Amino acid sequence: MKKLMFIFVIASLVLAACGSKPADAGPVEITFTMWGAPEELAVWQAVVDDFHAANPNITVKVDVSDWDSYWTKLNTLIAGGTPPDVFAMDAPLFLDWQSRGALLNLQPYIDANPGFLDGFYPQTLTAYKTVDGYYGLPRDFQTIVLFYNKDMFDAAGIAYPTGDWTYDDLLAAAKQLTLDKDNDGKIDQYGFWTDTWDMELLWSEAIWSYGGDIISSDHTKTLIGEGGARDAWAFIDSLYKEGVMPTPTASGEFGFDLFQSNMAAMTTIGHWAVPGYVQAGIKFDVAPMPKGPAGQATSVNSAGFVIAKDSKNADAAFEFIKFALGEAGQTKLAQLGFAIPVLKSVAESDAYLKQPGDLNQQVFLDSTVFAHTKPVFKGYEEWAGVVGDGLIPVFDGEAELNTTLDEVITAADEVLAANK
Amino acid sequence: MDYGLKPLGRERLWLWLMLVPTISGLVFGTIGSLFATLGLSLFDWDLINPPTWVGTENYVALFQNENYIEAFVNTLKFSALYVPGVVVISLLLAVLLNRKIRGVGIFRTIYFLPTVTSAVATALVWNMIYGKETGILNFMLETLGFAPICWLCTDNAMMSVVIVNIWGAIGEGMIIFLAGLTAIPRDYYEAASLDGADSFQQFFRVTLPLVTPSIFFQTLISAINAFQAYDYIYMLTRRGQGDSSVPVAVYSIYRNAFHFFRMGDASAQAIQLAVLVGVFMAIMFWWERHYVVYE
Repeated sequence: MKKLMFIFVIASLVLAACGSKPADAGPVEITFTMWGAPEELAVWQAVVDDFHAANPNITVKVDVSDWDSYWTKLNTLIAGGTPPDVFAMDAPLFLDWQSRGALLNLQPYIDANPGFLDGFYPQTLTAYKTVDGYYGLPRDFQTIVLFYNKDMFDAAGIAYPTGDWTYDDLLAAAKQLTLDKDNDGKIDQYGFWTDTWDMELLWSEAIWSYGGDIISSDHTKTLIGEGGARDAWAFIDSLYKEGVMPTPTASGEFGFDLFQSNMAAMTTIGHWAVPGYVQAGIKFDVAPMPKGPAGQATSVNSAGFVIAKDSKNADAAFEFIKFALGEAGQTKLAQLGFAIPVLKSVAESDAYLKQPGDLNQQVFLDSTVFAHTKPVFKGYEEWAGVVGDGLIPVFDGEAELNTTLDEVITAADEVLAANK
Repeated sequence: MDYGLKPLGRERLWLWLMLVPTISGLVFGTIGSLFATLGLSLFDWDLINPPTWVGTENYVALFQNENYIEAFVNTLKFSALYVPGVVVISLLLAVLLNRKIRGVGIFRTIYFLPTVTSAVATALVWNMIYGKETGILNFMLETLGFAPICWLCTDNAMMSVVIVNIWGAIGEGMIIFLAGLTAIPRDYYEAASLDGADSFQQFFRVTLPLVTPSIFFQTLISAINAFQAYDYIYMLTRRGQGDSSVPVAVYSIYRNAFHFFRMGDASAQAIQLAVLVGVFMAIMFWWERHYVVYE
């Protein structure tokens, strides 16, 4: 594997040396690389075609890969000196790329387009802002909400979740919805399911609602063991201990998403899951995240656009970003149904609110009121591995919560120190 | 060692011309990347900015890097379980299948199947076998009245992964040993049984000494595979954020290079692994000089 990657790097270095050609005026071609599902390519192609109709001089070549190969490919292209002009960025990883000098400062372009960012949801912008301006812009975003399976609630005769639910209400309902229907000693329906290795789906929200925090504002200290955070972890651990959701290592046996495979009555997840749930024929709706002792909280995370620092067609690249983030581009992207448009006017229009699936889309938008931005800091990926994967033995029932948490926090702080 | 025809005159030129593609692939691909790795291990490089010289710093840092030490120890533990397992089981299988029994071809095919099947596909099947809630293995345990085991949880993952890797490798080992066994002349066994040796004595006094070349070869190959083991481990033990419950050295090299952007550290780890393989090979060749019997 490693050897193969290396050959890739060497090969692209060689190709880069042969491939530099002089910039010419006239028509330009820019490349846009992103991660995503094959069905996303069609919608992006439509956006690109509209853009080309409005700007006949600029051709955009779109390239879509799956999540894992996307980052490998990006590394190789940049190391080889042939970066794509525009590429997709996951907000939490943004600083790892920006701090290495891979990205172009977009501030001059933003200054040249006064009012350009006025219509954006403000929480989506903070992730890309640095002391000397924006090095990226969000293209769409996610808030995490509580999904529930109406059929399972109806069958159990339980009232649907509301915005007034607490985490204790969630656990109580989950217990009632965890069923062994054929009495064979095996659970056939879990009350709840979510991933706990990534903070975005449950644990960051729970920590904020219980009055804790994730990381200090100067990114030097991991705070997930302080104050209310310990209570949040105890709550998450109780979901496993009470058996209302399968342990992390066992949950893969029921499909990669138990809500979609009709095995769980509730889940906390973002809008990207909606098309899959609709396609699976599940009757569901959404409610806001439950409240904790310190109030209600959810997480906002965005996918964004960045331009490579060495892009030879940066002006054309920004024109494309501007188009995709404008009314026309955002309206088209809203129809994808994978995310929420960053433009408030489009999010509040029928293009977003009247999507197939007949669910309360407003909940995703209203959640922005109590949303925290998913933390963005250097060394994010390594830190997330230490924390998220480090706690799996606890949830698998092999280790004790508080001592493991202490070990994980020490290791996480070492990662932060090494990535200073 | 004068076999066959020697190239003469112009043939010599053609010979080299024909070899150019292979040799250049070897030089630029294998040897080239080896030297590139050696060079990179003396630099810090994040794949974007120009590499900066740090001398032996990356090597010194290896000894303070707890994650790498864990991965390195895991690689050693894995090898210590895997290599003897592969050698012993495939030798026993070869002895069992080196007899005139009905359907021997079918058995040989079955044992060889894992070798020619994609590791990713078989790892998925193993995931189902090892499943805690729905797995076949736990179903059998529960039927027999035992408590289910979480085979792929952190405590048991190493053992479970070793079993799959051995299972995947015995087919190839069996072929090596079958070849070695067929080369032993039948008269030796006839002579031994005339002298009154039972089949156990025949195995330890005749078979075992005469297959030492195969044992040597198979141990070497298994050890090299053990130090580089990756695919089954990745498929069976990967966690949500890309960590593993059995992180091995190759895993650490891959993550450092392509996820944490530390090419220098990754290269130093790769070189250290290569040195370890080299030391092991030196020991093996010493063993060969003293204990391997060539007819």
